[in-house]
Amino acid sequence: MAERHSRKQEAWRLEQSAESSPREPQGQNREDKASVSTVSHVDEPSPRDEASGLTVRMENTYQLGPTRHFPVATVNRILKDVLTAYLQEAEYDPEFCREMTKTVSEVIKAKVKELMIPRYKLIVTVYIGQRDGQSILIGSRCLWNPKSDTVSSYALRNSTLFALANVYAVYFE
Amino acid sequence: MEVYHRPCDEVGFNAEEAHNVVKECVDAVLGGEDYNQNNINQWTASIVEQSLAHLVKMGKAYKYIVTCAVAQRSAYGFHTASSCFWDTTSDGTCTVRWENRTMNCIVNIFAIAIVL
Repeated sequence: MAERHSRKQEAWRLEQSAESSPREPQGQNREDKASVSTVSHVDEPSPRDEASGLTVRMENTYQLGPTRHFPVATVNRILKDVLTAYLQEAEYDPEFCREMTKTVSEVIKAKVKELMIPRYKLIVTVYIGQRDGQSILIGSRCLWNPKSDTVSSYALRNSTLFALANVYAVYFE
Repeated sequence: MEVYHRPCDEVGFNAEEAHNVVKECVDAVLGGEDYNQNNINQWTASIVEQSLAHLVKMGKAYKYIVTCAVAQRSAYGFHTASSCFWDTTSDGTCTVRWENRTMNCIVNIFAIAIVL
């Protein structure tokens, strides 16, 4: 719990990985698990002073919108390239996929950052699962400004696994 | 020219409150239900929409991204990871995991501050 509150003043990377491992079915109908936020990789964490958590105050730019919009097609291509390169030939294996989800999300974030789109914040999410004949549905909704913010997504399937990568780009006004 | 203070953003995103709110939404939609292929589309949509509505009611100046994954419980493996490039003093995230006898549900909330 305390780890969630430790942050730095400049932007750094926070990675959370949530994993469902196979369990025996429980006797009860409903079971609530407490939410555990596992920070598995963090750059230079430092204790955050809660009392003086003032954010940096920016000067007014008088800009009404982004000068350069987020290139969805380019990012789609990046997602496709990264997922195919890492996972097209891969077999599902718990340890391997655990590391892969984290690696792939970092790689995608690095590549999209290289595009240097100014004033956009990025959220990259990656889902990898075993293809076992089970059913899964992944959906998302966003409350944002649709003129400037957007999402880009790619899904890959092979014989043993499926992978879904999403990039949400939010304009920082 | 007076200085405008942003009262809500000064302490960043309140993950505890968001977690509780979303857990209630998931309980309300999925509680006591069994996995049903016909309904999951509707369930994921309601979970996400109700969570978003409740988050907005908290009245903070944030943009929200809510993702929900609902899967049937079987001996399968599933991994998810996310990586974010943002301002950590004002933006935040929260994950809610919920399960019952027949299904697993993972809801991710990402909140990005709006600078007014």
